[in-house]
Amino acid sequence: MVLTTLNETEGIVAELPFREFDPGMILQIVYIIVLAYILVMVLSFVFRKIGDMAGSHRITATMLIPLLKIVIYASAIYFIVATVLQPSLSQLIAFSGLFGAALGFGLKDIFADIIGGIVIAFERPYQIGDKISVLGTYGEVKDIGLRSTRVITPDDSSVSIPNFSVFNEATASANAGKTEMMVVIDLFVDAESDAGAAMDILRDAVVTSKYVYISPSRPYTILLEDFPFYKRIRAKAYVNDLRSEFEFRSEVTRRAWIALQREGIQPPRFPAHIPEASHNK
Amino acid sequence: MEDDPAGPDEKEEFVLYAEEINRIQEAIDSFTGEGFSHIALIGEPFAGQNLIMGEIREKNPDTVSYIPFFNVVKGKEAITSTYGTKEIVLMDRCHFLALRRIGGFAMLDAFLDMISMSDKMFITSWNSFTWSYLQAVKGIDKFFPVVIEVPKLDSKTLMEAVLSHYEGDITFIDDTEQPGEQPLVTTKTVRLNLPFGHSLDIPWPWLNMTSRSPEKQGEAMPDIQKVVFDKITRIAEGNYGVGLRIWEQSLDYPEIKLSKIPEPPCAIDLDINEAFLLNIVLSMESISFTDLAEIASPEIDIEQTLYRLTSRGLVEQEKGYYRVNPETINCVISYLKRIRMVW
Repeated sequence: MVLTTLNETEGIVAELPFREFDPGMILQIVYIIVLAYILVMVLSFVFRKIGDMAGSHRITATMLIPLLKIVIYASAIYFIVATVLQPSLSQLIAFSGLFGAALGFGLKDIFADIIGGIVIAFERPYQIGDKISVLGTYGEVKDIGLRSTRVITPDDSSVSIPNFSVFNEATASANAGKTEMMVVIDLFVDAESDAGAAMDILRDAVVTSKYVYISPSRPYTILLEDFPFYKRIRAKAYVNDLRSEFEFRSEVTRRAWIALQREGIQPPRFPAHIPEASHNK
Repeated sequence: MEDDPAGPDEKEEFVLYAEEINRIQEAIDSFTGEGFSHIALIGEPFAGQNLIMGEIREKNPDTVSYIPFFNVVKGKEAITSTYGTKEIVLMDRCHFLALRRIGGFAMLDAFLDMISMSDKMFITSWNSFTWSYLQAVKGIDKFFPVVIEVPKLDSKTLMEAVLSHYEGDITFIDDTEQPGEQPLVTTKTVRLNLPFGHSLDIPWPWLNMTSRSPEKQGEAMPDIQKVVFDKITRIAEGNYGVGLRIWEQSLDYPEIKLSKIPEPPCAIDLDINEAFLLNIVLSMESISFTDLAEIASPEIDIEQTLYRLTSRGLVEQEKGYYRVNPETINCVISYLKRIRMVW
């Protein structure tokens, strides 16, 4: 039964009206590929520019880029197939099935990545411009391609993450499509210090920062937690642009410590009862 | 123009923001000394809060004390001085009570403590950007049951307000190109920005929708005076002070030409320190170098940053005080909103 079906399919394929390959056809295929590539590049560039001009709506403008890529590359594949085969609808369907099976067996990983790319484009677990954490990599999504997602890490390394990982890995997006992003800033002070004064200083450092963004839906919080040998003052606040995440953290920490030391609040010290030798272990 | 029933000799004096003044006056008249009835008057820089405060002072010379701030408030004496005042206290430019730096809210906290405990009525004026900031950071709106915003003016009100300053007639001249002389379809050159800093000029067909002159269409010619004030109101975005400044700069008394009304392009690109300092200047409306240094130094090199902002025409200096150039203020506001520096 299976053999019969395969034979039938082979028969249909044998009947496909393959055009003879000639330099003109090859040139046409190259032309379609180049055109699709240029179109993707130009539209990506345009949408990124629009995004940059849109300020806080930057990520909304760039989220169309993956969708456009899928549409353009799918159209290019269709035109290439049509150039080579000029098939009828039933022949095209039969060929697509066979082509899909071949892809499934031979190039299943790549195919899975492409499906992952389509899922990312429609479901949007993250978007271009988001700060994500996936497969142990943290950084800003610079591009969502058909096969992989390119992420720039804080130390400027470009990491390609296969799109398939969206199916079997937890993906954390720190901003979920928004330009602002929560940043957590910890300060550790000596257990004997005035925690209330330290909290006031950190609060002021956060709300007067040039990077902060505060609104009813984006409030800030200052929290205190007591540990055996130190106190932790934690600030949770939103940075106005996720690209300034580290600058925000650094600026608040630096300004807060200048004020803390002015008030005589010290960083944690080694407990006096622990022998000196154990400090060096 | 509509006929004035009172006649030219008995023309009523034009009062800008009459509705807002009446609201405050009603609150003053009904004040019994019980309960909280503080008022916050909020407006953009140059919008004209001072006109409203001035009018209230004039109307209530015996019942109102007036305390204006011109610089950042540094000592609590400025606040405690209200104890010996009348029952109603007008406090002008209260945005000088808070500094955007660590420890910069002490005076504001003292002020809020004072108005919370006082039996007096406080009528305060604030810069709208400082107000939004303090609303987000300190919840300041909870202390003021009545918040009155200085409204944006429409073209007709701005015209009345501006012309009320002049006795004689002013000639309005439309010296711009008449649209009726243009063909229906024209070609314009559109600059297309390409990657890597290149650009391409391409001709683009343009349908001139205003090509037929109003006379040919059987419509009345637009009132030039209205056209002039429509343009000023659009550029000023309804801000009274900005509109007045544009008017004064365009007027060559006793005539004003439509083409002389400046419409500067809006293209700002600043680094974070420039944007922050610009935000401080905008939020304080008019601030001295010393106060700026107290807020932003040593994080920001004030001299260099101010020089860069001034040379770009965004900030101007007058008698030692820095303020945003009124002609660029709307552009500055939209830029700072876009980068989320003001909320």
